[in-house]
Amino acid sequence: MTSGKLSMVVAPPVIAAVAAHAATGTPGVARLEPGVRGLLAVLTRAGRQRWTDADPAPTEGVRVRVTGAGLIVHVDIAVRSKGPAAEVGRAVQEQVAREVDEQTGQPVDAVYVHILDIEPEL
Amino acid sequence: MAVNETTERNHLLPCGRDLEQVWQHLDEGDADAHEATCPHCRAARESLLALRAATRELIDEPEEPPPDLLGRIMSAVRADARRGRMLELPTPHTGGIEVSEQAIAVIVRYAADSVPGVRARNCRVRQTRAESGSPGPVDVELTIAVPFGPLTLDEVLPDVRARVAAALPDRIGTTLRRLDIHVGDLYEPPSGTGPDGSEGPK
Repeated sequence: MTSGKLSMVVAPPVIAAVAAHAATGTPGVARLEPGVRGLLAVLTRAGRQRWTDADPAPTEGVRVRVTGAGLIVHVDIAVRSKGPAAEVGRAVQEQVAREVDEQTGQPVDAVYVHILDIEPEL
Repeated sequence: MAVNETTERNHLLPCGRDLEQVWQHLDEGDADAHEATCPHCRAARESLLALRAATRELIDEPEEPPPDLLGRIMSAVRADARRGRMLELPTPHTGGIEVSEQAIAVIVRYAADSVPGVRARNCRVRQTRAESGSPGPVDVELTIAVPFGPLTLDEVLPDVRARVAAALPDRIGTTLRRLDIHVGDLYEPPSGTGPDGSEGPK
C-alpha cells in the first residue's frame, strides 16, 4: 500500500466488459445484440489484442460514453422471458449500474437499455 | 499550448514536404533528389514501408476467421434492421428502456395468431404520450386474414382484441390504447381443418 493520493482511471472498454457481463447474467436476457458497428469494433480490438496474446473480454452490444452528464452506458439486448420485457430492462439497468460500480469504482449516471428482439420462451 | 490551424498541416514533414507526396513517390518508386538526401523524408518512407508490410501481413493472415463469424455478422445485420423505430417503456431508474417496434409486432402477431382461424399479417405500432410526458400506451394497426365459412368477424374480432390487449402488458410491459384491425384477406381453410381453421381433433 502506498500513502498519499491515489487516482485510478478505468478505460471505457473495461467498463463496457463489466457491463456486458452484468447484462448477460441478468435473468431474462437472451443475448447482447451488437449490430454491425459494434461487431466491427470488437473484431478490430480482438485483432489488436491477438498480437499481445490477450483474449479480450466481450463488449459487443455495449457502448460506454463519458459526457458532461457523467458515465452513460447503452446496452443492446434480445430478451427471452415469460414476463414483461420492461421488467427485464429494469433489472438490466440495476445490475449494470451495480456491477460497474462494485468492480470498477465508477458510479454509473444512466443506463439505457435497447431491447431489439423478444424471443419466444421455450 | 499552440494548436495547429488545421489538421491538414499535421501531414507536413519538418522539412516542409507533404507526407502524401512521399507516399505517392513510394508507389511510383522514384524518390527525387530532395527525398534521397533528406533524413525526414527517409524516416517517413521507412515508416510507410513498415505500415505497408504490416497491412500485407494482415491480409495474408493464414489463420481462419472464427467459425461463428458469419453467424455473428448476420445476427448483427438483423439487429441493425430492427433498430429503426423504438418505443419507450417506463422505468424508475435514470436512463431509459426502449423496445423495437418489430419486437412488439412479433408479440402482437403471435397473440392474434392464437385465435383459431386468424392469421396475422402486417402490424404497425405507434406510441402515444401520457399527459405527464412519460411513455404512454400504444396504438396498433393489425392486418389479418380469416377463413371462409361459418366463422363471422363479430365472433373473431373481440377475441383478437382481448388477446392483443392481454399480451402487451404480459410480454412487453405496456398497454393497448387503440387497436385497428384490417381484414386484408380471406382464405380457403385447407381440407382436414375445422370450420374455425383449427387443425381439427387430434
